Amino acid sequence: MGKLLSSPKLLVIAIAAVAALLVSVAGGALGASFGLGFLGGPIPFISIPAERVAFIGGYPLLNSTIMFWSGGLILLFIAWRAGRNMKDVPSGWQNLMEMIYEFFSNTVDGVAGGTPKAGRRFLALVSTIFLVVMIINWVGILPGVGSIGRIESIEEWVHHHAEGIEAEIHEEHSGYNDTQVHQLALIHLLEEHADDTFVAFDGVFVPLGQGEQARVPLRHIVTATEDELHHLADQVKNGEDVSHDPVFEQIEHDIHEGVVKEVFTYDAGGDSEKDYNFTGQTAGLLVPYLRGASTDINTTLAIAIVAMLTVQFWGFRALGVRGYGGKFLVNPITQGPIATFVGVLEAFGELTRTISFTFRLFGNMFAGEILLIAMAFLLPLVGIIPFMGLELFVGVIQAYIFAMLTLVFGVMAVASHGDHDSHAEDH
Amino acid sequence: MEALGITLQQLLTQLVSFLILFFLLYKLAYGPIMGMLDSRALKIKESLEAAETARLDAASSAERVEAEIASARVEGQKIVAESREAASKLREQEQVRAREEVETMLERARTEISREKDSAVEEVRKEFASLAITAAERIVEGSLDAKSHSSLIDRVLEEGLSERKN
Repeated sequence: MGKLLSSPKLLVIAIAAVAALLVSVAGGALGASFGLGFLGGPIPFISIPAERVAFIGGYPLLNSTIMFWSGGLILLFIAWRAGRNMKDVPSGWQNLMEMIYEFFSNTVDGVAGGTPKAGRRFLALVSTIFLVVMIINWVGILPGVGSIGRIESIEEWVHHHAEGIEAEIHEEHSGYNDTQVHQLALIHLLEEHADDTFVAFDGVFVPLGQGEQARVPLRHIVTATEDELHHLADQVKNGEDVSHDPVFEQIEHDIHEGVVKEVFTYDAGGDSEKDYNFTGQTAGLLVPYLRGASTDINTTLAIAIVAMLTVQFWGFRALGVRGYGGKFLVNPITQGPIATFVGVLEAFGELTRTISFTFRLFGNMFAGEILLIAMAFLLPLVGIIPFMGLELFVGVIQAYIFAMLTLVFGVMAVASHGDHDSHAEDH
Repeated sequence: MEALGITLQQLLTQLVSFLILFFLLYKLAYGPIMGMLDSRALKIKESLEAAETARLDAASSAERVEAEIASARVEGQKIVAESREAASKLREQEQVRAREEVETMLERARTEISREKDSAVEEVRKEFASLAITAAERIVEGSLDAKSHSSLIDRVLEEGLSERKN
């Protein structure tokens, strides 16, 4: 403390840090309970599937794909810089890549038996998995990823969700015609999702300083009452075409307009009951332009599939079809039924490994993304800083775990029957 | 599946992207790096071997040089001793000869001196005789007879000569 007071520089830094923390506490979700919360925004809608950003010639481009490609391009650029002009005395990118590559070269040789070049067949895939997973983890937590996006309007949202319901109705009531199905789906959607909330956008930005209260339930955007919806649904089921019914026309108009129609009460009957008036503001959901590729389950599943298929390939090449296939298909008459059962378990093991690969990486990275969102919501400005560091660390660790498990499974697959009894699984 | 967002299209996209990335990484980085590491390992091994042989060479040549130096030193010592001996012998000879020369020179000088002395005495006696005669003539001319005076003079001269001879 004496040291702090004697040095004016340190003192200024300490005061600035404390001030930033106080501003952050007051401006965040905590301060919002006391009428402050001037920095807090509504918590974003967290969607497990990756969002669609654009259609390119009928191909839906997802935000996670963009990040996967960007990460890949960064990696390729580094690889190109490292490999285009190899020198005996390495420097710069070459040095970095050689360091990583040599580290994995030593690791795979060590795990695969300890002799030099024993693990060379695993090396390329293991180091690719590490590099790719690490780079997509890291670019995924850059500021702006997951927080900058376009507003998905109510009309788009309804269109998107009605498709699924239409398919359901088609299956259940095959007698309805297309118009009936369409109208019923719309009505069902409004009934089921009346309490879903949408952010009332203040222009193009997420409204700051209004916190969770800036989320408006759907019933205040499309103002048809439950009775009206019921009545409409009955009419449609009786075979009437309601497209010219004034209530239905009003519904379609509301959806198309997509603005908040009326004053609503937040937390009615609760402690922080208050009326909010966002009338006339556009409501919708934030669809981020970018999303970390490892927070999309397709990416992690794709890498897991490549890893596990390659492991099977290594196994078959090292032991032959009979040798490697013999691990899973055991003759119950010559070797006994228990060995057969164990073989079946082994086969299931390969499948569960793929799934555990997928969900380990996805779970960790998705949770990290949500953690960052939550910290930005609770302690704006400063809360995110330590967790950014944590996420960088988690990103490397998960990449390392993915690569190492691939290596271990590969080594287990190429080991012949006698000397394989270790089950290094599930971390 | 729908809730998790798994779609065949997206799965294939990521699968193909990953495989392309893998292929390009292999082409761009792993291939060159693997070649580089291998060639460097080979180079290091070769230079280590070369260094080892060079070290052995240096050690053996140092040994050779040392032996040569030692033998040269012995030889030098021998040469120095020999020349020292020769020098002392020469000096002795020279001394003996010089002494002999001096001796002969002394001898010669002595004989020369005695001869010179003898001739000088003879010359002086002759001179004295003539002088005495001249003197006697002058006296005789003046007073006395010549006979008594010359006997006197002879006596005196003989006395003087005998004194000299002693």
